Amino acid sequence: MKIAFLPLGALFGFLLSRGGATTYDFYAKLFLFQDPQLFWVIAAAVLVGAPLVQLLRRFEVRALFSGKPIEFQPKPMKRGLFAGAVMLGVGWGLAAACPGTVLTMLGEGKLAGLFTVAGIVLGTWLYGAWQDHRGAEPNAGLAAETRTEGR
Amino acid sequence: MAELVVWPGWIAGAAIGVYLALQYYLTGKPLGCSSGYGNLCGVVTRTPFFRRGEFESRTSWRLWFTLGLPLGGAIGVLSSGGAIEPSFHMGALYESVLPESLALRAVYLVAGGVLIGLGARMAGGCQSGHAINGLSLLNPPSLLASAGFFVGGVVAVQALFGWLG
Repeated sequence: MKIAFLPLGALFGFLLSRGGATTYDFYAKLFLFQDPQLFWVIAAAVLVGAPLVQLLRRFEVRALFSGKPIEFQPKPMKRGLFAGAVMLGVGWGLAAACPGTVLTMLGEGKLAGLFTVAGIVLGTWLYGAWQDHRGAEPNAGLAAETRTEGR
Repeated sequence: MAELVVWPGWIAGAAIGVYLALQYYLTGKPLGCSSGYGNLCGVVTRTPFFRRGEFESRTSWRLWFTLGLPLGGAIGVLSSGGAIEPSFHMGALYESVLPESLALRAVYLVAGGVLIGLGARMAGGCQSGHAINGLSLLNPPSLLASAGFFVGGVVAVQALFGWLG
């Protein structure tokens, strides 16, 4: 069923595009407090998403394709989370893109994203190399979280 | 650049909220975009970190999702009645402050991308995984991360347009 994620990714990309999340100017206007378009996209997504997700959890709905329990895995607190979030935010404002929208932009022909994508791959790899250097397990916190949530 | 149809933010946002629940219901997997770059690192490098834990399965569903996103962008343009016209143009506002040289711009954007990639892994997710998905789960660390995203974005853009604009 992995290939189902191709049309799902396309649907999500389409919605990002319609939301203005692939339009460079909306990023600058968001952070210059000139136009809250992208703020409303995120806020409305959460306002609508939260009750629907709560319903799925409350009734312990199983995934349609696999029949298995849905993997709700709230991301754990970890060291460096806030610092990393601010770094991501700085890159978000500078490059006018986030990891999902930049790929959607490429599909729209916005080629500046090629450089941004190269940087994201490099930054992701640097984190992995850094963790290997430290001898850390990837997402040890998340694995622990999954065990406690395991049902 | 092609003229894109853009919906009011709250309508597109509400549709994305429904999408989040739909993906959970159909596949049982959470919405998230940044981990796919880790799966990509697992495919193109031999770095052990990207061969274990959450990245163990390198033919991940996340890679399919990652391939779907540009498809959605293309559909977004074509269904707007436009044609896909590849361009390095970055819109009126960014064009007014960024260097014209493509080489300088490449350095700038790669640096921005490194901050995005490294920051996303340090935070454990990006705007979709932490803000949209995490906040919908009412998860406190995701609230902290989302606040960090906005702080970083405001600081960066105010600096960029304040100093150069």
